[in-house]
Amino acid sequence: MTTVAVVPVSPRRHEHPVPWKAMVRVTWLQRRSTLIGLLLVFVACAVAIVVGQAGTHATYASFVANGCVQNRFHVPCVTFANWFAENTDLFSAMVIALHVVPVVIGVFVGAPLLSRELESGTFRFTWTQGVSRSRSVVTTLVLLALFVAVATCVLGLLLNWFAHPFEVIGIESQWQSGLFDTTGPMLAAWTLFGLTLGTFLGALIGRTVAAMALTAAIVGGLLVASFVWLVARLEAIGALATNRLMPMGLNVGQLNVPGSQFNGPIGSWLVRAWFTGPGGKRLDAAAASNVIGRMYGAPANGKVGPSRWLSVHHYIYWVSYQPASRFWIFQIIAAAILIGMAALLAFATVRLVRRRA
Amino acid sequence: MNVVETSGLAKRYRRTWALRDCNLSVPAGRIVALVGPNGAGKTTLLHCAVGLCTATNGNITVLGDLGAGSLEALERVAFVAQDAPLHKYLSVRSMVAVARNLNPRFDQAQAEERLRGLEIPPDRKVGKLSGGQQAQLALTLALARDPDLLVLDEPLARLDPLARHDFMALVMAGVAASGFSVIFSSHVVSELERFADYLIVLANGRVQMVGDIDDLLTSHAVLSGPAEESDLVGEQFTVVQTRKATRHAEILVRTTGESRLPSGWESDDVSLEELVLAYLRDPSASMLPGPLATNELEVNEVAR
Repeated sequence: MTTVAVVPVSPRRHEHPVPWKAMVRVTWLQRRSTLIGLLLVFVACAVAIVVGQAGTHATYASFVANGCVQNRFHVPCVTFANWFAENTDLFSAMVIALHVVPVVIGVFVGAPLLSRELESGTFRFTWTQGVSRSRSVVTTLVLLALFVAVATCVLGLLLNWFAHPFEVIGIESQWQSGLFDTTGPMLAAWTLFGLTLGTFLGALIGRTVAAMALTAAIVGGLLVASFVWLVARLEAIGALATNRLMPMGLNVGQLNVPGSQFNGPIGSWLVRAWFTGPGGKRLDAAAASNVIGRMYGAPANGKVGPSRWLSVHHYIYWVSYQPASRFWIFQIIAAAILIGMAALLAFATVRLVRRRA
Repeated sequence: MNVVETSGLAKRYRRTWALRDCNLSVPAGRIVALVGPNGAGKTTLLHCAVGLCTATNGNITVLGDLGAGSLEALERVAFVAQDAPLHKYLSVRSMVAVARNLNPRFDQAQAEERLRGLEIPPDRKVGKLSGGQQAQLALTLALARDPDLLVLDEPLARLDPLARHDFMALVMAGVAASGFSVIFSSHVVSELERFADYLIVLANGRVQMVGDIDDLLTSHAVLSGPAEESDLVGEQFTVVQTRKATRHAEILVRTTGESRLPSGWESDDVSLEELVLAYLRDPSASMLPGPLATNELEVNEVAR
């Protein structure tokens, strides 16, 4: 047997824990290809938005110069509006692309973050270095979260900027389902949710492909649910009611249209419409339909117009709406809910990692 | 000071006990071989020592009274896991940088010097290195952490004989230079005697034999003589294993002092490999400071 001189082990001074700066360097070393890849994707999206917005600039300037903001139904203004209506391809493509961002981040950044370590066994290296597991996971997660949050917030605000002319003209609204989730802080909030959900599922399942598939299904499913149902329900909360609008066409029930499409204030969102009768009682759908029929069928109608006819017969047309000033409040509330869920998922992930044995 | 101390340590994965009632005190300054067949609980014991697993029952401390896996223990205990898992997509240089940033006591110059000596190119991706080089890199990173305890899980399993020799030479050089303690698991029993001076044998999740290797060897002997007298001779000793042919018998016994052998009987030294294999073949045999209880009923209850 080999004989070696052995020096007795002496107790040593407890060193300072690994500083955060060092942890940042480790995260950069381990994730730089992911971060650079993401940065390229974000820059490509930003460039596409800037190019698209620049393409609409001249027409929108003419629209404004011709006083169309005040009177959108003048003949030259309709021509400008038609141009915008025919040139929504890039805008729509960007809205769809940004919808995919939270799913992509969740699937390709969040899900593999811990599952790959668990699957390949490198957690036995990472979790036995001179730093606690919690610190290691928290640093990585916080840095990635900061990076994607800033990048997607910028992209969301750029999309707001791109959407502005479409909104003024009345073709699109930042309130509508597709845009509400991809503009401003909401895109960042969805992305953080995707990232933390993917990370949590990766830590829970420990299998990369399964975690990626489940993340895609859940984040994608929730985004679709938000598009189809959730945003409309949210925007109905606390809507104001007015009888000063006279929408063209007198729709009743759910509207969910930009205010500017019905001569409402620019930036507002019309939620529901209904009639009240002479006693102030709300009319059901059949009665409302009857009122509309009588109004258009009356011989005098052509002379007095729908507003006058309704007034003479003591009917009032009501519209509930969200004023433009509330848009950012709704954005912040919805984003806060998603960010809260993301924080809970991050907390659960750290606990899971600490307890994993 | 004990570098690892366990009392009543047990670890259960779902319905299977990987470790049961494990009581150990491993003194500092030793090179400890942890041996046992596959599934004996070696990896579980080492994982518990480095904080990768939490005990179901009992407790484990390292380097005196530090909780296994505590921050201070993490700083002072270096671990090289089975198959040396490293980030394969990183270059060797980046892997060194990762380890340097994660360990306050990391000696980068020492790591780079060792890697130069091992002719491991710093720009090569870890995944492109041979199995032996990956193991050497993992060990280099562990040694550069200036550990008080180095824990190696099956470090020789996937290495060819030359790589095994180089690997253990690096460990021994580190021990000679810094005097840290080493615990390594292995089922390559034949090579233990060259490196280790302390032995722990695990079988079926229990400690079966533990002690200084020299003491274990001097306290055992192989007696050989006529087969018909083997029972009579066996009564004088604690028999670990008996092998009988038609006319000749060999008995591995634990000796407690000087005993007289009948004429026609001879006593020979036992090799470490022979000793370990004999204990592993007979799970009821034990060489422990404390009692060894085999209660299969309890295991069955859990399994149910």
